[in-house]
Amino acid sequence: MTGLFHFANLVRAGIRDNALLWMLIAGFALFPIFTHFADLPFWNDVAMRIMLLGMAAMGLNLVLGYGGMVSFGHAAFIGIGAYCVGISQFFGMTNGLFHMFLSIGVCGALGLVIGYLALRTTGIYFIMITLAFAQMLFFLFVSLEQFGGDDGMSIDRADFLVIDLYEPLRLYFLIWVALALVALGLMFIVRSRFGVTLRAIKSNESRVEAMGLVPLHFKITSYVISAVICGLAGTLFASWQEYVSPDIMHWTRSGEIMIIIILGGLGTLAGPLLGAIVFLLLEEFLPLALGAVAPAYAENWMILFGPLLIMVVLFGRGGLIGLLDKAGFARIGKRKMAVK
Amino acid sequence: MTLTLILEQTFNGLQAGVTLFLVAAGLTLILGIMDFVFLAHGAQVMIGAYAAAAITQATGNFFIGLGLAIPITFASGYLLELLIIRHLYRRDHMEQVLATFGLILFFNEAIRVGFGPAALYSDLPPALSGFVEILPDTPYPAYRLGVIAVGLMCALAIHLFVSKTRIGAMVRAGANNPEMTAALGINIKILFRLIFATGACLAGVAGMMLGPLTSVQPGMGEPLLILSLVVIIIGGIGSVRGAFIAAIIVGLVDTLGRVFLPSILRLFFEQATADGAGPALASMLVYILMAVVLIFRPTGLFPAKG
Repeated sequence: MTGLFHFANLVRAGIRDNALLWMLIAGFALFPIFTHFADLPFWNDVAMRIMLLGMAAMGLNLVLGYGGMVSFGHAAFIGIGAYCVGISQFFGMTNGLFHMFLSIGVCGALGLVIGYLALRTTGIYFIMITLAFAQMLFFLFVSLEQFGGDDGMSIDRADFLVIDLYEPLRLYFLIWVALALVALGLMFIVRSRFGVTLRAIKSNESRVEAMGLVPLHFKITSYVISAVICGLAGTLFASWQEYVSPDIMHWTRSGEIMIIIILGGLGTLAGPLLGAIVFLLLEEFLPLALGAVAPAYAENWMILFGPLLIMVVLFGRGGLIGLLDKAGFARIGKRKMAVK
Repeated sequence: MTLTLILEQTFNGLQAGVTLFLVAAGLTLILGIMDFVFLAHGAQVMIGAYAAAAITQATGNFFIGLGLAIPITFASGYLLELLIIRHLYRRDHMEQVLATFGLILFFNEAIRVGFGPAALYSDLPPALSGFVEILPDTPYPAYRLGVIAVGLMCALAIHLFVSKTRIGAMVRAGANNPEMTAALGINIKILFRLIFATGACLAGVAGMMLGPLTSVQPGMGEPLLILSLVVIIIGGIGSVRGAFIAAIIVGLVDTLGRVFLPSILRLFFEQATADGAGPALASMLVYILMAVVLIFRPTGLFPAKG
């Protein structure tokens, strides 16, 4: 009983310290009401995409923001998660829970192997070796002709026990629950001794070693956790897209989730989700804005998006959370929990 | 027959290798000396290819296209460094990845706006479109042979420049220890800018030469960028010699692997298994090579920093 109270207190303290994160997640729960009355069902789709990419970015952020390991290959785990659905369905397994457990197992094992090998290197070499592993997997799936090769394979939404994912909003709330659970889990991890050690390793690895801890163990563990979260996002992504192709694990996707994290705020819990919201809204609205000014070039919105990214790097240090801090909203962003 | 095929494919591998070297030579110095993760190097390849193809189409002369494209790529690298890159040297690697990723998006889209999404094709001049007999009864395209020759000449020139000249000594010193080099009174900012522009120019040359062999289209540089990163990691960041050796290895392994791996696998496995696994394994081969190198030598074969 006291254990339960203790847990409830931990959750309450966590929610209080990460008000922005939980406000955003609550917002996603209420969003379908808005789209229903505003008659904008298309935006549910966008919201699902935001939640999925946000979830993947939150996973990567554990490694990137808290652990300081610049992994440039996390799209591979998203892709593996998605292919877990595709390949199981190919062999007749349509149970969604099975897909999830499979994806967790495969991504965890793969994360362990890749993490163990890649973490022997540091700096630029680490960035490149993670990229290399992702490319390896990308080309593996490109050449697996029986699973569609380059063209990919179409997928049915998975069976989730009694839930029919083809009913409206079922998939939306499945994704929402997954997002909330991932956020809750990450919140505990980041606030635990493990999380503190991880941040300590980021700021000074040799001191952590001098304290008698083995930094590699913490790094690999966080790598595996983030791989699993990305895999989970990929599994749901497959159901959302009803289609999977090697494109999902293209190296530009790794760049995309990195951008989302940095845009939102590195090493913060709410940052990746906030980043995903802004990133995908830009993706929706930039073509419209450009189309209003120069209709012929609406589809060339990347020409604005690229320089915008450079601006964010040059002038917007700390991402959107950093901006919120400066604007005096430090409490909701809770920058205090972040490193730097 | 088989010998002819092996010889032909070895030459193709060499041609891929020297092209990779041209892209990797500048990039390894950018990564090594400036400690800068520059992902938009592939865009320089694209700029070179487009400049050459567009000028060739406008003037009708292949060599004028090449001649004018070289200063254009040099200027584009110089301006890029001056306007954007130099503000990013002190940032951490991740921010550099992000900013140069933004540059890729911008350049690809700018090319798409300027030249349209379709690929440009440029014809070879008659002088280069013939075949040369490298062995009796073994014809080989003259143009590819020319690419190999130009690539090897560039490699030799870079080698002589880096190892024999005063500026080359500065470059080597910079790769070994940039702070100390600056402390010795060498204007490292100008050095950086020149290395950057020269690297862009070399990547542009690779793009120009690739133009008639592949299609010139937006985003054409990215596959080359990824492969040249592999080359740089295998060779050791900052080492031009390492980049050359690694580029030739990667070019040969990639080309020969794609052609011969399926038939080699067929010796050990059943036909169906070999045909399924062959292409998959072949396209993974260079990445496997890189992972193995990094596992045994985490700083590459010829590390420049000492």
